[in-house]
Amino acid sequence: MKLKKLTAILLASVMAAGMLAGCGGDSDEGGSSNSGSGSSNTSTSQGGDGEIREYTAFFAVPGTEINDDNAVQQAIAEITGAKVKETWLTGQTASEAVGTMIAGGEYPDIIDGSDGRQQLIDAGALIPLEEYLESGDYPNLTNFWSEQEWEKVRQDDGHIYIIPQFGNPYEKDMATQPAEAFWIQTRVLEWAGYPEVKTLDQYFQLLEDYNKANPTMEDGTPNIPYTILCDDWRYFCLENPPQFLDGYPNDGSVIVDPETETIVDYNTTETAVRYFQKLNEMYKKGIVDPECFTQSYDEYIAKLSTGRVLGMVDQQWQFNQVYDTIKQQGLDAQGCNFVPLAIGIDEDTPNQWRTTGRMIDPSNGVGITVSCDDVEGVLQFLNDLLSPEVRVLRGWGIEGEDYEVGEDGLYYRTEEQNNQAADTAYKASQFCSYSYLPNYTGMLADKLNAANPGEQPSMFELTLPADVQRCLEAYGCQTYAEMLGEGTPQPGPWYAMYTYSNSMTTATPGGTAWTKMGECKHEWLPKVVMADDFEAGWDEYMEAYNACNPQDFLDEMQEELDRRIEEAAKFAE
Amino acid sequence: MKRAKEQDYSASMPKYKTTVAGSLFTICNTIFMIAFVAVTLYPVLNTLAVSFNDGTDALRGGIYLWPRKWTMKNYSTVLQKDNLLTGAYISVARTVLGTVFGLVTNALLAFIVSRKKFLFKSQLSLFWVITMYVNGGMIPVFLVYKGLGLTNSFWVYVIPGMISAFNMLVMRTYMMGISDSLEESAQLDGAGYMTIFVKIISPLCKPVYATVALFIAVGQWNSWFDAMLYNRMSDQYTTLQYELMKLLSSVTSQGATAETMQNAVQAAGAVTPTSIRAAATIVTMLPIVCLYPFLQRYFVAGLTIGGVKE
Amino acid sequence: MASKTKRVKGKFDWKEFKRQKVLMFWAAVFVIYGVIFYYVPLGGWLIAFQNYKPALGMFKSEFIGLGKFKQLFSDASFLQVIRNTLAMGVINLVLTFVAAIVFAILLNEIRLKFAKKAVQTISYLPHFLSWIVVTGILRDILSGTGIVNELLMAVGATDQTINFFANPDYFWWIVGFSNVWKETGWNAIIYLAAITSIDPSLYEAAAIDGAGRWAKIRHIILPGIRPTVMILLLMNVGNVLNAGFEVQYLLGNGLVQSVSQTIDIYVLKWGISQGDYAIGTAAGIFKSFVSIVLIVLANQFAKRTGDERLF
Repeated sequence: MKLKKLTAILLASVMAAGMLAGCGGDSDEGGSSNSGSGSSNTSTSQGGDGEIREYTAFFAVPGTEINDDNAVQQAIAEITGAKVKETWLTGQTASEAVGTMIAGGEYPDIIDGSDGRQQLIDAGALIPLEEYLESGDYPNLTNFWSEQEWEKVRQDDGHIYIIPQFGNPYEKDMATQPAEAFWIQTRVLEWAGYPEVKTLDQYFQLLEDYNKANPTMEDGTPNIPYTILCDDWRYFCLENPPQFLDGYPNDGSVIVDPETETIVDYNTTETAVRYFQKLNEMYKKGIVDPECFTQSYDEYIAKLSTGRVLGMVDQQWQFNQVYDTIKQQGLDAQGCNFVPLAIGIDEDTPNQWRTTGRMIDPSNGVGITVSCDDVEGVLQFLNDLLSPEVRVLRGWGIEGEDYEVGEDGLYYRTEEQNNQAADTAYKASQFCSYSYLPNYTGMLADKLNAANPGEQPSMFELTLPADVQRCLEAYGCQTYAEMLGEGTPQPGPWYAMYTYSNSMTTATPGGTAWTKMGECKHEWLPKVVMADDFEAGWDEYMEAYNACNPQDFLDEMQEELDRRIEEAAKFAE
Repeated sequence: MKRAKEQDYSASMPKYKTTVAGSLFTICNTIFMIAFVAVTLYPVLNTLAVSFNDGTDALRGGIYLWPRKWTMKNYSTVLQKDNLLTGAYISVARTVLGTVFGLVTNALLAFIVSRKKFLFKSQLSLFWVITMYVNGGMIPVFLVYKGLGLTNSFWVYVIPGMISAFNMLVMRTYMMGISDSLEESAQLDGAGYMTIFVKIISPLCKPVYATVALFIAVGQWNSWFDAMLYNRMSDQYTTLQYELMKLLSSVTSQGATAETMQNAVQAAGAVTPTSIRAAATIVTMLPIVCLYPFLQRYFVAGLTIGGVKE
Repeated sequence: MASKTKRVKGKFDWKEFKRQKVLMFWAAVFVIYGVIFYYVPLGGWLIAFQNYKPALGMFKSEFIGLGKFKQLFSDASFLQVIRNTLAMGVINLVLTFVAAIVFAILLNEIRLKFAKKAVQTISYLPHFLSWIVVTGILRDILSGTGIVNELLMAVGATDQTINFFANPDYFWWIVGFSNVWKETGWNAIIYLAAITSIDPSLYEAAAIDGAGRWAKIRHIILPGIRPTVMILLLMNVGNVLNAGFEVQYLLGNGLVQSVSQTIDIYVLKWGISQGDYAIGTAAGIFKSFVSIVLIVLANQFAKRTGDERLF
């Protein structure tokens, strides 16, 4: 009988419980006032020099937390007198996270609900901001978007609840990276003497020819001429090229014909048939990776990192890390890095792969919640975040530690600073970009330096791998983005339609159709590409596709398109 | 009580006659166990290898049992996470308290429903069995906890999940296997139910107590969802697992759209290298795995207990 | 085992009640606790009968009766999802169950104490790995260049690499196997504990009778752990519709989605990620209903065979 031992454990745990209850009691007070006003943290004095207001923020997207003793955050706090504690989505969907917050009635001061945004507005969790914005007390914030752009954000009830934070280049779009493109390894282009590749047929012909001449890498690993990422929502790499191939920009879910102002379904166009037929042909020839339809995103990245893959369709942000692994293995010497190509279905197809300039996404933004008891303070802080001084801190860090200023006034990073900036632990304790609060891209207020160090031309060139540099030179380009041409401005006031389709729900027939179409395409597009008889496979696919009532979806998109054009017309008057 | 004596029966296990079939069995069993160990150890060793491998390099895949490019950086990144100490303290506290409270309450409940004469044993069992299969949903549960003042508090880790029908039923089964004669003779001596529970039944139940304690402790140690859901706003009650989960924000989130994820990746750097994931896995796994040997002797060495029926 | 004592029907035994007052007191405490933490939240089931809007809350949302249930059961893909969930639930149940018992018994046969401890400790480690880690490794092993394909080629079982994840026929079994891989050691703990409760004098008696190992397993160990096995079986029968979410999500892809989607994935796709909580709640009620029917049936069956019962 070890009763004594048991009693001792029990006693100890009861004592521990008591201790916790004790401190629980204290902080419970803090906790309950926290839940009551939602922001007991707000305006608690930090002691030391001056009072620093503290706010809380929740962003319903995955993100990386920074440390409490973060240096840049502290520097910004000294200028603005405030700091924001950011938390991100963990292990839940955005709707779930927002749903429980609404049920509990507890919110942080600042919130970006992402997919749960509409729920927040419906629940009355966000405060209307238009009067504050019109008051003129927060000029940076008010001028962040034009009057017409703010109008797009306005809800049907006449209020503005959120501040869109992305897609606003200052002075000039400095983007060095394009979004979506057909990518190809530089070794293929070099082998062919840097030819002009404009059509889908030329692109695949080139991959085929190269692979015939060089079936393996230098160490004997066989090449994979073409792979396709189609893991879950990332399957856009398989399904949406028909819109670009037809010469339209990335409206995402549909094509908008600007002349007739009508919605066109890119899944069923002649170009779509030709594109998938080409993939089918290439699959049979062994050019398309036979495992591509079952690979996960991690496997895809691993494949690209080995340098075996000659080409694919993707958006560059998805595989940026591959450039690092290629470099680490010295594979850039073999020409294993990717450059983008603007491919059309025919020789004379217009090229709208890259849209540049401002693009407001009215379906995304940060709002201030009813739990916040210092709305003016938060707005003041957001306003101050856009001041020239703070913009430098957010983008570059602290002078002398994270960057140097050249005699010409141009900022640069030493190699050591560059390495530091890539270190996860250093980033958490040093940098604080408040990435989900409004900020300009493009240039800093001095109109000399890029807002983002990676886009500073002098620095960008240094980081460019040798094979890419040679390739870009051959085509007379300076950045990846330029490989896709100048870039086109927004095609019309409706752009981009995906901001609407992304927020559709199964509550409407169109939204239901949209979800079903997605499911159908996930299953059928791979089958079509792998089909022995393409025609028969395509017919079967179309049968399944039409059973999803795509017209319901298209009708709703047309309605939204008309509404957007109408809204814009009001401003033209 | 006199008859209960601890002894390692494997030492006194009767020797069987060595037969051909017997040795064949031993050989097969040994081979099987070696194969089994290899198969189960592999994922762990692989995780360990990846955790010591350079993150960029690990993206290439192809790491099996040994790191290709050694680094301690993943661990330093994980261990430098803010709030890790607070989290560790709360995690230990919830594991200890949760296990003690859970063990005592489950055992007492199991004791009650395992008494043959207890008038409502069937009804009470059914009452708890049902709880295993019904669930009000995340939001209603949240509202109840909030109503009870359990949100933004440490006690949300201990009190709501204290009794689990599963653990209770496992204990009940074990207790029902204990002979009634012990209880009857104690009752004749004038012992009450609580005395029987503490002095007679509990000492015989060590193996099952150890099992349930392990289940509860592992559950407590590993859980992070409650910390996120109920104490999101209260940093002082964060747990180790939750802090590490925050580090592992992954882009596999279902239902995401390319546009949101593009913003998240470009603006918030939302990709965690697999090597950091591996290091975090090892960091959380180690402490709880170390607990195991202490409990293990109760069900590996085996103990001879008298008075067990059958 | 099963008690055969019968109470006189129709007459409540107050004398016995008084004798058990301390048990009654604690039972009442536990019932109150259970009501608060498990039964009160069931009020949330109301959501399934509403056009629930988080903004309005549970008390103000519009009441729509059985609409959501009709919506679920008129959707052909939901029926498909039930089939998948059930199939994977049953496969998982059978595989993990048998594997754990066999493993526990074989482990018990190891004489070397050190080896026994070591094997057991190792066997339960995979339980601590997250699914994302385990499925990552599994994908590696089953890939075109993975060890399984290479073995199959080496023994000549196939002349072309098999893409395991592209074929709907394999999917359920891959999920079942991964469950066995991850949880066998962990699940075996309970049986090992049960084996220790067997009176050693039985082994001695058996040895005197000249019983071999097989006889010992069959006539002593298996009957000894039978109550535990039965109870766990009964509990798990109620869980066949909880075949999970993460594994299927991580291993699935478009080509196998007709067999890979479970109820939980369906709910996430059509309900939660769209802000429609009613669908999720309705599916939850359906699952609970099926579970309870299943365990009541299984319990009746156990009662008839005179086995250990849940209630």
